[in-house]
This record gives sequence, structure tokens and C-alpha cells, in this order.
Amino acid sequence: MDDYQINAEFIEKPDSGAMLEITNLLKENDLTFETDIDETLLIRIGDSLAATGSISGNILKCIAVKKEYKNINLTGSIMTNLINREYQKGNTDFFLFTKPKNKGIFLQLGFSPVYEVKNSVVLMENNPLGLDNYLKELKKESRSKLDITGKAASIVVNCNPITNGHLYLIEKAADECDVLHLFVVSEDRSLFPMKVRYQLVKEATSHINNLVLHKGSNYIISNATFPSYFIKESKQIIDIHARLDLGLFSEIIAPALGITARFAGDEPLCPVTSNYNRLMKEILPKHGIDFHIIKRFETDGEPVSASRVRKCLLKRDFSSIKKIVPSATYNFLASSEGEKIIEKLKKAGK
Amino acid sequence: MAKLRRTMLYVPGNNAGMVKDAHIYRSDSVMFDLEDSVSIDEKDSARFLVYKALTTLDYGEIETVVRINSIESGFGKEDIKAMVRAKPNVIRLPKTEKAEDIYEVESLIEKEEKNEGYSIGTIKLMAAIESPLGVLNALSIATSSKRLIGIAIGAEDYVTCLKTSRSEDGIELLFARSQLVNAARAAGIYALDTVYSDLSNEEGFIKEIKLIKQLGFDGKSVINPRQIEPVHRIFTPTEDEITFAKKVIEGIKTAKSNKSGVIAVEGKMVDKPIVERAERILELAKSSGVLEAGKESEND
Amino acid sequence: MKIIKTGIAGTLESSDVMITVRSNSGKGIKINLQSTVKKQFGKQIIKVTNNLLKELSVEDALIQINDIGALDCTIEARLAAALYRGAEQSEYDWEKI
Repeated sequence: MDDYQINAEFIEKPDSGAMLEITNLLKENDLTFETDIDETLLIRIGDSLAATGSISGNILKCIAVKKEYKNINLTGSIMTNLINREYQKGNTDFFLFTKPKNKGIFLQLGFSPVYEVKNSVVLMENNPLGLDNYLKELKKESRSKLDITGKAASIVVNCNPITNGHLYLIEKAADECDVLHLFVVSEDRSLFPMKVRYQLVKEATSHINNLVLHKGSNYIISNATFPSYFIKESKQIIDIHARLDLGLFSEIIAPALGITARFAGDEPLCPVTSNYNRLMKEILPKHGIDFHIIKRFETDGEPVSASRVRKCLLKRDFSSIKKIVPSATYNFLASSEGEKIIEKLKKAGK
Repeated sequence: MAKLRRTMLYVPGNNAGMVKDAHIYRSDSVMFDLEDSVSIDEKDSARFLVYKALTTLDYGEIETVVRINSIESGFGKEDIKAMVRAKPNVIRLPKTEKAEDIYEVESLIEKEEKNEGYSIGTIKLMAAIESPLGVLNALSIATSSKRLIGIAIGAEDYVTCLKTSRSEDGIELLFARSQLVNAARAAGIYALDTVYSDLSNEEGFIKEIKLIKQLGFDGKSVINPRQIEPVHRIFTPTEDEITFAKKVIEGIKTAKSNKSGVIAVEGKMVDKPIVERAERILELAKSSGVLEAGKESEND
Repeated sequence: MKIIKTGIAGTLESSDVMITVRSNSGKGIKINLQSTVKKQFGKQIIKVTNNLLKELSVEDALIQINDIGALDCTIEARLAAALYRGAEQSEYDWEKI
């Protein structure tokens, strides 16, 4: 039993005083306070901030212990609090970001490495079988196409919602390979919920015989592998996240399915996606994955994109929408479920 | 030798490190807490931890006490089921307000004792009184059960109920403390004082120990091992007290053998209460280890 | 006892252990041990774990143990808590624990 009076509490929005303490402690550990944090844990000994850690969805990050308290296993206390918090929220599988030099501490505390970007960041997960299970799931989903030999390619899409533009890209890519693995981003941060996006993609692509549909899960463009896809971050951070996401894809996920190529549509409009394309072009070939950009499908001199669909949706311009989306998408948008999405879109616009 | 209950070390029931080391600080009792220090989500886990510790670890001579949750909380019944099996010396019931609270717990304990094949009354009880109603019912609580070995005051909830807060001199607790000691003495059981939570105020702590000793308490709950030594020191009779007590007992013996009715020690008339006090001081001195058992009669 | 959801108990503080149990329907017991004292006590920890699993008739489960130097009785207590939580059971069989 120790003499310290230790007090742990979670706060959602640190006031300026607390924020200064947190940033100072993080700075001491060579870290910065990130922008997408839901809750921050403060562990105080007496009046002084001795340790901190933060939660962003199913990610634990910004974990630091003050130098003078490093010998009393405060990391154990932080992690216990953060882990219990995740379970309380119903997240049984979660991740953490740390620096490679701290990997050993978290290995001791039961986290398994998912992927490491040399000298910059390691992604770790609490479920030692998390990534294994995902790879098994991918193989299971591909069972019907396993006997097909030849070139396996891939596309990762968000499809918010799927348009004829996506479909054009998918069909084009499917033509150029023997098996096409199509991954739908799982992170639920888009206007259309994951379930809807996935279902519409499934319906709209059902005619493509050499296609296997997968969920991106936590391992492809997710809050864990690529948080800056969803939030504004500095160029440097986006770069690190992209290296993590693409490294994991090309070194671990692609080999599990024999994937040797990745396709993407060119992106004249969205800066985040066009930047991601640029990084794919740079990074993927280094890992032995061919990267191909396919020119956007256009109608009326304008690229067909999900954002164009959403714009029309806001104006309830269903006749324009009909021209640029597959019938699965149109039928959904015209239904009462679609009405709910329009409401959501209007609210978000205000 | 009378059982000493000068210090009862408070151990949060879900803290594995503290549960493991609870006995190394040599408090007279340790109290494993399943109640306030354990969050609702961890009630089950703490119960398992304390259960396994009590059934596996050897706490030696130290009295083991478990503070269970109240029956109304929804956790109390399972606490009793598990703890009777685990067989601590004492189960401590929180927030006791009336004798009926004790009857209810007693019948549950008795049922489990029968299940386990223990003789009825194996597990002792202690009641914590933490409200004005409890304080006013102190005597009926103190006399409610043969199992009851003591009553304790819990001050934090009590002062809040009184619409006041704790002060340095503890004037707001004077009535409750006095009432509790009186009830305990009338029932022939122990009276135990509340915790002192300001660890940094050593002077205030010592003042409070002296106060409660003077009021007649047998001891105090402590929340940190650091607090054990001062309580033991203050509750241990001084050399002067022991010397005087020895003289009183000697005087009585001599008077008896001389068949003389009245004696005086150091010029003071010795009557029955003084003899009883001297006996108690020697008892306490022996239990505290400052006087070897049997030593006061070395002149025989 | 059938594990139907993920159950977790314990802490990562000194002298404690954090145990996570996950369902593993029809696929037996799998134990993953991470311990600060694995070299000296790894075998003993596994033995204690297997004994309790047997007592409580757990046939399928993925058990993850992150030990920070816990006593055997602490490991048993945390394992029991995690299992009961994972089985969503609150009828405790104290005799077996």
C-alpha cells in the first residue's frame, strides 16, 4: 500500500488550465494532444497531473506518465481505466497508438502489434486474434473464388452512396483482373450508415461474377489505421497514417488474398481522397502492389460522384439522381429509409 | 487477554495489491470493503477477490472484517452468502439505522452458517451507524444481537444528514460519539470511531485520537497504514499509568490480606472504579505488548 | 458454463491480473498468457487457470491473461469474475470457486 492519494477522472472537454497540464505532460513525452478525442483520463497525485491517456472511439492514445512517477506502474492504472471505459461503451475490440520505443510496455500489458511504421508509430490491438480473425474472415468470403488462378486485384470504396461512377470503376477493374476484391470502408462516420452502404454495393455489383465483397473492418481505412481520413490533420500526420494504412494493406492483407494490384478512381474534387491517391501511388509499388488510377466516369461534363448525388438529394432532384446511380441506390433513396437520410442531410447542412 | 481493536485498517475490496498486503502493517483488524470503495460495476469482482483472499491467505492473528453492502443495495445478500463461506471473523453492516436491520442480516447469516455446517454464531457482527436515526437508536442496535461485538460511527454521511460538515475539533460529532460510547458500554460491546481522512494533517489526527480515547472509544478506523502507529501509541498506557495501576492492584491485595477495608495509593483513596480502571490499564498494557502477561504479579 | 460474450475482470496494477474471456463455440480452450513473471510462474498460472475452467465446466473459451505479478488466488478471483461476466450468469457456485 502506498502513501499517494491517487485520483483518476475522465473529462470530456478539458478547460484551459487542464489542457495546459495535459499538453505539457504530453510534450515531456514527445507527444501532442490530438483533435479527435472523446474523453481524456487525468490521474492526479495530490495536485499534480501524474499521468494521462485519451479515448477516440475505439482508439486509445496520447498516453503519458510524468517522469517522477514512472516507477509506480501508473501505466497500469491508465490502461485499466481506459480499457474498462471501452468495455463500458460496448467496445470489446480496441486499438492503441504508441511510439515504437514504448511497444514493450504495451506488450507487457497484453496488447498485440498490428503494424509498425518504422521510427514513427505502432498500431496495437487488445484482442490478440483480432487481425488473424479478420484475415480468416476475408479468406472465408473468398472461398468461392479460391480456385481461380491469375491476377487478383483490389479496390477500397466508401460509397456514400454507390453511384454509376463507382460502378464504372469497379467494372473496369474487374475486366482487367481475374478476381477483384472489393472492400467497403466500415467506419460509421458517413451520411449513409455502413449497413446501407454495404447493402447497396452488394446489390449494385451482384452482376459482376469475379467480384468478392469484403468489409474494411478495423484494418482498412478505419479510425484505427487512418484516423486523418475522417478528421482534419496536419500534412505530416496524414502522411504517417497513410503509411500505416497502406503498409498494413500491402504487407499483411493483400498477401493473405494474393492481391497484387489496387485500383482507384482519379479524384478531381475531394482533397483528402486525392491526397490518399497520391500517397498510394508513392507507397504501394514499394511494397510490390501495382497501382492503377482509372479516370472518373462523367455525365454532362461533370464527374459522377457521391457528393454530386448528395447535392441533388438536398434539392430532392430525383430525376438527376436517377441518371447517375444504379437502380439499387435509386430505389433506396426513393423509399422511406431514403427520406430519413434526406432529413439527416438537411440537419447536417444547417 | 482482552481483544484489542485500536485500529481497523480499511482495505478497498477490489484492490488486489492492498488485499494481498493488508496484514503486514500490523493493525489490530483489517476491514475489506465491498461497499463504498467499490463501484457498482466492480461489486462482483471485489466479492470474488475478497472471497479468494480470505479462503486462501493467512492473515495470522489479525482480525478480519468484511464490510458488506446493505441488503437494499441488491448486493448484500450475495455478499453474505459468499462471506459466511469465506469465514472472516466479523461482518460489518453499513448504514444501520434500527435493530431490525441487524435482525435481517442475522437471519441471513444464520441460514448460511447452517448451510455450511458452522455452529450458529460463528460469524460476529459489527454495525456502522451513519445517520441521525441510527445514532438515536444506538442502544437498541447495540443490544440487538449476541453476535454484535461492536458499533462504529461513520461520520461523513452523518454530518451531511445533520446539515453540517466535519470541523477540526469535531464539535458536531460530540453528541453522536458520546451516544455511541454510552450505548456500547451499556451493551458491553466495543465502540469504534470514524476515519480521519486528511492524511497530511498529522497534528489534527493526533488531537482526534486523544479526543476519542478520552470519550471512551476502543479504537478507530484508519485509511492508511501510516495512521496505525499514532493510534497504537496513544492507546497504549504510559509507564506512569502502568506503575500507578500496579500499585493499586498491589494495595488491594495487601488490604485484602490485612482484612482492612480502605486503602490509599499515593495519597488517593482507592475505590471500586479506580480498581477497575487499573485492571483495564494493565489488561491493555499486556495486549499492547508493553507489559508481559503475568508480570504484574511477580512480587507474589 | 457457456461463454456468450466478452467478459473482462481485474486491473493492470501491480499484484493484479487482467483477464479477458471471449466465446469460442465448439473450439475448445485457448489460453494466451502475458506475464511479468512468465518464466518463473507461467506454468503455474496456466495450471490454476485450467483447474478453475474445469471446476466451472467451461469447455470453449479464448482466455487472455495479462498478469502483473498476481497471487494464484487473485488469478482465480479475476478469472471467475471474467467467466461469470462472459456467461452473463449471476448465480454463483461458491463451492467451486
